[in-house]
Amino acid sequence: MSELVPLLQNISNGLLIGGVYALIGVGLTLVFGVMGTINFAHGDFVVLGMYSAVLFNAVFGWDPYISLLIAVPVGVLVGIAVERGILARIADAPPESAMLATLGISLIIGNGLLLTFGGEPKSVQVSYASSTLPIGPVNISIVLLLAGLATVLVILGLYMLLNRTEIGRAIRGTAENRLGAELVGINTKRIHSIVFGIGVSLAMTAGVTLIPMLFATPSATGAIFTLKAFVVTVLGGLGNIGAAIGGGVLLGLVEVLGASYLDAAYRDAYGLIAFLLILLLRPEGLFGSTVKRV
Amino acid sequence: MIRHFTVLGIAVLAGLAYPHLFPNALTIAISVLLFAGWATSWDILGGWAGQLSLGHAGFVGLGAYFVAIGQSDYGLAPWWAMMLAMIAAAALAFAWGRITFGLRGPYFTLSTIAVAEILRMIAINEGWLTGGATGVFIATLPEPFGIDLFSRVVHFHMALAFSVLTVAIVIIISQSRFGYQLRAVREDESSAMAAGINPVVVKLKAFMLSAALVALGGGIYGIFLSFLEPHILFYLFLSIQIALTAIIGGRGTIWGPSIGALLLIGSGEIFRAAFAQANLLIYGLLILVVILFLPRGIFGEIQRRAVRRRYARSTQG
Repeated sequence: MSELVPLLQNISNGLLIGGVYALIGVGLTLVFGVMGTINFAHGDFVVLGMYSAVLFNAVFGWDPYISLLIAVPVGVLVGIAVERGILARIADAPPESAMLATLGISLIIGNGLLLTFGGEPKSVQVSYASSTLPIGPVNISIVLLLAGLATVLVILGLYMLLNRTEIGRAIRGTAENRLGAELVGINTKRIHSIVFGIGVSLAMTAGVTLIPMLFATPSATGAIFTLKAFVVTVLGGLGNIGAAIGGGVLLGLVEVLGASYLDAAYRDAYGLIAFLLILLLRPEGLFGSTVKRV
Repeated sequence: MIRHFTVLGIAVLAGLAYPHLFPNALTIAISVLLFAGWATSWDILGGWAGQLSLGHAGFVGLGAYFVAIGQSDYGLAPWWAMMLAMIAAAALAFAWGRITFGLRGPYFTLSTIAVAEILRMIAINEGWLTGGATGVFIATLPEPFGIDLFSRVVHFHMALAFSVLTVAIVIIISQSRFGYQLRAVREDESSAMAAGINPVVVKLKAFMLSAALVALGGGIYGIFLSFLEPHILFYLFLSIQIALTAIIGGRGTIWGPSIGALLLIGSGEIFRAAFAQANLLIYGLLILVVILFLPRGIFGEIQRRAVRRRYARSTQG
């Protein structure tokens, strides 16, 4: 019994952290699934979300979750602008060009934030930062619980959007076959812009839910989140939204369990090792279908 | 080929004259030369074989740490340590390429970041081996033939030799059967297979060569720094810097990566003065310019215009 309680505690933490990872990964995998582009700036948009919460808190004293009201639409607009201004222009170039362009955007955002906010870590103090909710012997952090709830809501919303609306049908059609979608009258250029907008706002939402527990620092954190998003999507299967949720939860569990039962210093490495193992053994991801082999 | 070697010869002469002309500007020149060598080596895989790596800082770190630890813990002379580092880098590249080169899509690029990050975490956490997060210091170095390896002029000559070696290798590759195989794989793997080329083997060879050369440069960098910190050597942004230097200069060209290094690192001090730590901003802006307007990179675009002009002239007569 005495060993079971910490295990349950770890599993619940892992599940909740995994929820946030899933939220980060879903945006990346949605963009990849529809546009075929790996968005290297994804993590930087997460950091942008964190800084937007910091900014609104500093100026208006808002709770991070209230700043979502602004951050989500701003994210959509920023995403559409980036897609129209840069990615749409190189749609016919090899897919690598789009990847490099997003890498450039990542450097611009990270270093732009560094110039604007300086290098010191920033955070938002919330009154519930250290409160916990006891469920039986397990204590669940309110911050994590809120983040997990936000993830569930956002992913449910995304699911409804993709499966219950006309625009969702158009997005799925574009993902499946761009030319076919174009032939039945879908404006796939518009769909690409919208999808990138959704991807950016998902990343920013994830950033806002993370700010009560993590410090925002420019440049390097963006790369870390991008890497986490990659790991999540590859664990689940690239381009598959349902799988990204599984991948996120799995990454959360691997990290938390690895850190508490193996060596805590390698916390970030366990996810990467799992990622390489997946590439070696099952590159289509745990829940994915086939990947082309040479 | 002769033309390229003539240019290289002139560059070597200019390089040999440099320490006499500008004895106070050696550090920046060493950085330019090291980055020219790294970017050129990166380009064997990234440009000629078309496999984008964002993990080459891992090999830089490997080279530097082999030299430093070899010297401080085992009394191993740097040249032997560099050879070991090259073998280790090639072996790592082999194992890693075997896992990822069979897959199409962005998997290779994603894995490069992961491997370099794992190496960085090992360097930070395994203090008994690497000095941990504080790093490792090279206190003594042997003096082969009475050469002081702590002298900046010596560092300059080593960096010059390294970058010249990489460019010479690329000149030879560009004319060889291997070079044609690389380009065939880059353009279309299925067609390359139809022509009897095994893309996985070709990519593996390119990766191993690229990794070993970068590790050699990393060893020189280690001697140059003499104080190694894992946060700098295995840093993702060093990988990105190496890759973008080559791409902005001109991927898959002989001189593009070196020109990229000259432009970007040479002017790096100016950007550092203007943007302080945010100096990578300029890489972000330039890569967008290159992707949108100069898809072949700066040198690639110059080369293409020259070829076009020559062709236009030949058809007029």
